[in-house]
Order: sequence, then structure tokens, then C-alpha cells
Amino acid sequence: MASLRDIRKHIQSIKSIKQITYAMKMVAAARIKRAQTSILSARPYAIEMEKAISMLKCEMLEDDFKNSSSYKFFQSPNPAGDIGLVLITSDKGLCGAFNASLLKKAVAFIKANNSSRIHIITVGKKGRDFLRRIKNANIEFYYEIFGIFPKVNYTHSNLVAENIIKMYSEKKLSRVYLIHNDFKSMVAQELKEEIFLPLGERFDKKCQTETAVDFYFEPSKEKLLESLIERHIKSQIYRILLESQAAELSARMNAMENASKNAGELMDGLTLKMNKTRQAMITTELNEIVSGAGALQE
Amino acid sequence: MSKINLTVLTPDKTLLAEAAVDSLVLPAYEGELGVLPGHAPLVAQLKEGIVKYRIDGKEDYIAVFWGFAYINSNKAVILTEIGELIKEINEERARQEYQRAKDAINMKGADLDLDSAQASLKKAVVRMKLAQIKKSRNI
Repeated sequence: MASLRDIRKHIQSIKSIKQITYAMKMVAAARIKRAQTSILSARPYAIEMEKAISMLKCEMLEDDFKNSSSYKFFQSPNPAGDIGLVLITSDKGLCGAFNASLLKKAVAFIKANNSSRIHIITVGKKGRDFLRRIKNANIEFYYEIFGIFPKVNYTHSNLVAENIIKMYSEKKLSRVYLIHNDFKSMVAQELKEEIFLPLGERFDKKCQTETAVDFYFEPSKEKLLESLIERHIKSQIYRILLESQAAELSARMNAMENASKNAGELMDGLTLKMNKTRQAMITTELNEIVSGAGALQE
Repeated sequence: MSKINLTVLTPDKTLLAEAAVDSLVLPAYEGELGVLPGHAPLVAQLKEGIVKYRIDGKEDYIAVFWGFAYINSNKAVILTEIGELIKEINEERARQEYQRAKDAINMKGADLDLDSAQASLKKAVVRMKLAQIKKSRNI
């Protein structure tokens, strides 16, 4: 049976762990507010951008569109080519299943697409470290970036997006997939695997409604579309990075809250055990004194 | 008199949300472009420069560095990657930036990224211009 001192020590160490996890929870909770506001304030730009692109695309004649340099972003010129994967994880652990589920998905993805070479861009340390350890896979690392959370800004997404575009055109990829977590609510993240490039059907549907107005363009439509597409990709990446950042924080908040709760339960159990031991000790001592006195009387 | 609803957006914030302006001057790709209420539908690319607009007879300015504007039935939306309100401009910083960019171009170091140096030079010029306006109008 553990001695009183051992139990006290155990309780003390659990107490300090609880303090740390509780502090981490509070930090995450404070940051998540900011992360949420930045998601909200990034939204109008992305929405207007999407509107503008779908409008431009509708204004262009079919042939002009097919010959423009931005066409490759809508339809891959090399459908049989390699594929790309962008994996967005966090830099730090202690955020529950946030990274584990991402990595599991990435492994499944790599296994499923074993036949073609996969070019990889990683955001965040966890994904990079994990993928580097995989052996015998047909993968190639193109670019990595880390240390951007929890202060993502537009320059970071610029870098990521530029590299995605470069990878897409340089390696003549057929598709670029994106695996990341979306922020759904304070308690839930949504794991997403989506085709990021080519943009394809995303802009196909909305055409009929907006063709009524006769716009005047400066400079030409092709040039406008070209520079807009790049910006659109950047703003998409920006949105996704912000979502992932918020999701990470909410995951961490929940994980740390659970950890604090568990630590509390452990402490309660140990305190009970300690009191029992203490009482047992007192009883034994009393017993000894009483029987000692009895022996003297006789 | 009808007005134009002007919205200025950057990726991380909304600089101006549906402000009712009397007139608007855009630094379009091929020269300055004035917009009055009732303007024809227009899509224009912007280069670095100053967006001037007039609210109730008072002029105000926003510096934009690359942008994109579309105007449709008295609604104007400007999307820009970097946009700064006039009150955010710091003259001293702009001048230092200008000097730094200029030095970088003149030194022609081995690792000189000419495009980015020129881009920051252009940005600094716009900021300095806006700082000048700020000073002369005492805003």
C-alpha cells in the first residue's frame, strides 16, 4: 500500500498538470475568438471574388475562354498526369485527434492513389514530420511551411498559394487535392478532402442569371481573368488556413478541457484514498496505544 | 441626387462597407478613371495608387496596391490585396521604406529580387503621396 507521502506527492503533481492544461485551455479559448473574427472578416472578400470570377467567365465567349491562359485552372491540360496533395496540419500537438485524423486520411489517400506519383505540399510541422517517415511510397515533397499558426496572415497564404500554382503548372499535375480541417463549431471540426485544382465545375452552374448586364472591361477580359484567378486561389487558401487555425484551437480547447476534468477526477479519487490511509493509520496507532495501556494495567 | 454605394474589401478586413459616395476616382490600369452615379457597368483592374472618393462634399482617400473594381448600377466594389486608409499612413515609415527599396535597387546585390524591390518602391511612392495629401489637408 502506498504511503501517505507518496499519495500526497502524486496529488501535487496531478494538481500542477491540471493547472497547465487549464491554462492551455484558457489560452486557446482566448485565441479562438480572434480566429473566428478573422474568418468572418475574410468572408466578404472571398464571396465578392467568386462572384466576379463567375461573372467574367460567363461574359467570355466559349472559344476565347478555352484559349485563354487561365483555362488550365478550370480544366487540367494533362488529365493523365501526376497528382498533388496539400496537407494542412498544426505545428503543435495536444489538440486531441486533430492531427491524427488528418494523417490517417492522408495515408489512406496515398494508398488509394498508389498508381500515380504524388507531389506533396505540407503546412504545419506535424504533417511534414509524419509524411517524411513514410517509406516505400510514391511521393515527392515539393514545398513545406510551418510556424504560421496561430497567427496566419495573408502573406503566408500567398506563399502557400503561389507554390501550389507553381507545382500545378510545373509538374503538369492533373489534380491537386486538399486535406484539411474545417471549423464547424466550438466543439466540432470537419475533416475535408476536396479537389482544389482545377476549379472545374465550381463555376459552371451560375451562368444564366448574370449575363444580362453589358459590362465594359478594362483591360481585356482574358487579362482580368488571369490576374483574378490567381487572387482567387490565394483568397481560398487564406480562408482554408484560417478555418484550420480555428479548428485547431477549438480542438485544443476541448482536449485541454477534458484533460483538466480528468485530472480533477483523479485528484478526487486520490484524496479519498489518502484520507482512508490517514484514518487507517490513526486507527492503528490508537489500537496500539490502547492495547499498550491495557498491557500495563494487568 | 443619387449616390454610389462603395465597398472596399481586403482579404482580412472590410475597409469601407457600402458608404454612399458622390463621386469616385480609381487608379485604373490604363490611367485614372472617374466614376459618377449612373456610370455604365464596368470591370477594371487597378494598379497601385490612390482611390479618391467624396462623401457629403468631403474628400477621402484609400491607398490600394493592386486591386480590382467592378461597378454595376450605382454599386461599386473594390477588391484589393493591400489597402490602407489615410489615417493609417505614416509618412516617416513610408520615406524609410522608399529609401530602403531605392538602396536595394542601386546596390544590385546578388540576391536582389528586382520585382519585389520595385513593387515596394511603388508602394512607398503611393504612401508618400498620400502622406503629402494628409499633411496639406490636416486630416
